[in-house]
Amino acid sequence: MNASPSEVQSQAKVLRRLYLTLFLRGRSSRGLNVKHSAQSIGRRLLMTLLFYALIGMMGLMFLSQPVFNLSLYLHGASLFFVGMFVATSSGEVLFNEQEAEIMLHRPVSPRAMLWAKISVLLEVSLWLSLAFNLVGLVVGTFTKNGSLLYAPAHAFSSLCSALFCTGGVVLVYQLCLRWFGRDRLDGLMTFMQVLMTLVLVLGSQIAPRMIEWLPGEIHLTAETWWLALVPPAWFAALDQTLIGRGNPTMWTLAAVGVFATAAVLTLAFGKLAGSYESGLQTLGESKSRAPEKTGRPRLLQRLVALPPLSWILRHPVERAGFLLVGGYMFRDRDVKLRLYPGLVPMMMMPVVLLANGMRHRGTDGFMLVLAGTYLPLVPLVALNLLRFSQHWQAADVFLVTPTPGPGSIMIGARKAVEVLLVLPSLLVVSAACVWIGGGASSLFQLLPGILALPIFSRLSGISSSQLPLSIPGEEAKAAGRGLLSMVAMISAMAVGGAAAAAKSFGYFNTFLIVEAAIALTCALLMDYKIRNLRWTPLETAYNGPA
Amino acid sequence: MISLHSLSKNFGQQTAVDRLSLEIPAGQIVGLLGPNGAGKSTTLKMLTGMLAPSSGTATICGYDLLRDGIEVKKHVGFVPDSGAVFESLTGLEYLEMIAALYGIPADAARERIRQFLAFFDLGFDVLTDKLLGAYSKGMRRKVVITAALLHNPQVVFFDEPLDGLDANAAVGFKALIQTLAREGKAIVYSSHVLDVVERVCDRVIIIDKGKILVDGQPDALVREYGAPSLERLFTHLTGGDDLQQRAEDFAKTFRP
Repeated sequence: MNASPSEVQSQAKVLRRLYLTLFLRGRSSRGLNVKHSAQSIGRRLLMTLLFYALIGMMGLMFLSQPVFNLSLYLHGASLFFVGMFVATSSGEVLFNEQEAEIMLHRPVSPRAMLWAKISVLLEVSLWLSLAFNLVGLVVGTFTKNGSLLYAPAHAFSSLCSALFCTGGVVLVYQLCLRWFGRDRLDGLMTFMQVLMTLVLVLGSQIAPRMIEWLPGEIHLTAETWWLALVPPAWFAALDQTLIGRGNPTMWTLAAVGVFATAAVLTLAFGKLAGSYESGLQTLGESKSRAPEKTGRPRLLQRLVALPPLSWILRHPVERAGFLLVGGYMFRDRDVKLRLYPGLVPMMMMPVVLLANGMRHRGTDGFMLVLAGTYLPLVPLVALNLLRFSQHWQAADVFLVTPTPGPGSIMIGARKAVEVLLVLPSLLVVSAACVWIGGGASSLFQLLPGILALPIFSRLSGISSSQLPLSIPGEEAKAAGRGLLSMVAMISAMAVGGAAAAAKSFGYFNTFLIVEAAIALTCALLMDYKIRNLRWTPLETAYNGPA
Repeated sequence: MISLHSLSKNFGQQTAVDRLSLEIPAGQIVGLLGPNGAGKSTTLKMLTGMLAPSSGTATICGYDLLRDGIEVKKHVGFVPDSGAVFESLTGLEYLEMIAALYGIPADAARERIRQFLAFFDLGFDVLTDKLLGAYSKGMRRKVVITAALLHNPQVVFFDEPLDGLDANAAVGFKALIQTLAREGKAIVYSSHVLDVVERVCDRVIIIDKGKILVDGQPDALVREYGAPSLERLFTHLTGGDDLQQRAEDFAKTFRP
């Protein structure tokens, strides 16, 4: 016996309201009262939308360009932002372990839960998309061959692209479940999120160059065939078609876009939705599985006991912090889903810049300098993301340990990030630098970035709220993370810009000496501050600063 | 009311529940006992539709667990041992959301919630002032119990329901489940607190490694095995005979 249509409809409404509330408030609270929580969420959301609207002002640069180029830019950037948001949020929204305990024994079909979650993801995606496209809607009316119809046309095509993007991410998850089975779901989810972020970062780098290459009037030819493979081009063509500036090429691309959106939605929410229940059940199962009994300490524990790690981790609390954070970085699904996709832009930008450096060998290593300055962002962003965990309540155990403050644990966490993330990144970037720069001497160009490492890696440690794994994972809202990445990237650009300017004026060595002196002083002062941090009383930690 | 036929659950090579078969009639309180990892929670999760069985079947209130999953869930209430709730909702928001999922009209739900508050001796403002994340463990447990019983289910599964409840609430709760059973509900009560099970349950099932070791009335089982209490019978059946000696040996390790 199935539920009646009115029951189903009312359930859908309840679920949508539930997931929207959970999304906006976060799934777990830290003793917040209702008033405090609602205010912080509203403000955070408003700030995020404002930030997206500000970034959207870049659309003003297209005032003198053809409307197709503007649309291509807007759709490319929207797909990037919305895609990053959906890719980083969907794991947490779609497969929440605790939710299985609350919802799976209720008379609700997994399909209804899936639909409700998707509609919330879509709703928030549309808010972000609208904020970003706000300026573009006006610019499209007044730009070269623009139209008064541009605003409604672009609003419609943005809806299609948001549907395509959200559906695409969900489809990837569903396919993973179907093809690779339940047992490998955890690892696959992390892998797919990293992969999707990678594609989006690369896409955002390629798209602007594509716009430069485009001729005034677009026709699918041997030179422009690739447009048919690029989603932003489909939706930009839809804009052109809807405002009456179409030609057979535009009609074809627009049709591809509409067809692809319909296909993705049908597959993700229709044919493959059945896999969702088994995916949710997997979360409960994986918990019950017995751990492998090898009888040997884990690799990380063995490494810590050996030089050189045993030399730098002589303090037992630092060593415990190192093992704790290292373990979570490699084993915890929730942490991995947040950490690695969040780091992809930091890891990819040096690669993109080094590739640019290869194309412009005559620019005297400017790109190499800039690539190096992205390295310090790795520990900054990683330590920031490592503050969040679904097991945040377990961090209370630190408060009962006989330590004067959180400093040693945070130092251990920093060392874990430096050894396990920064060092491998540094080796890869150095190898690429030697290859592109034509010799070991080009490693010199990375020094501005390397010298900034001690400051950036300690920045996140100068407040006790940066204790690892001590904040509910849901407080790390995806949109806010995008904001952090953006601010971090801008600060890296500032260091890189200053270094490049010093280089072009012949003061590179002086710059390095000054930077090294500043870095050393700051690092010593920060270390002093971190070691002398004292525990925040629980009531302050739970209710936020007075 | 509850009927299991060779119900099994495997996690890879590991068998958590091994061909479990049993019948539980209406009005009976069944204590489900077993050491950690015995398969109690897995069994309850299968019977509430949270885990798919690897093999075997079960019917609850005449509905097949696999074919009529949603109907089974409509007739079942479950208090999981985790006490998981959506922490960023207020107690009232949470309970009203749960009531809506079972199709209980808003007015009736509010009235039912008030009745539970009265039972637990709580004021209505408790449910509206704070988010669930700020509740004490006992308060949260009361909300979870309320959420399991709001829709007046015919079958109720409790997994460590007393965890976190204060003494008065625990006494009230034990009286409540006995009353519910008298009204014809089937109740499965999984717990490690053996003396409570001995006092409250009509029947006790002890399982280990996914298999039933014994099944019967507590008094009859104790007599049959010549054990001084249910606790001693449990430790005897599940390999805990030398616990006293192990505790003494362990305590010696603290001596300087």
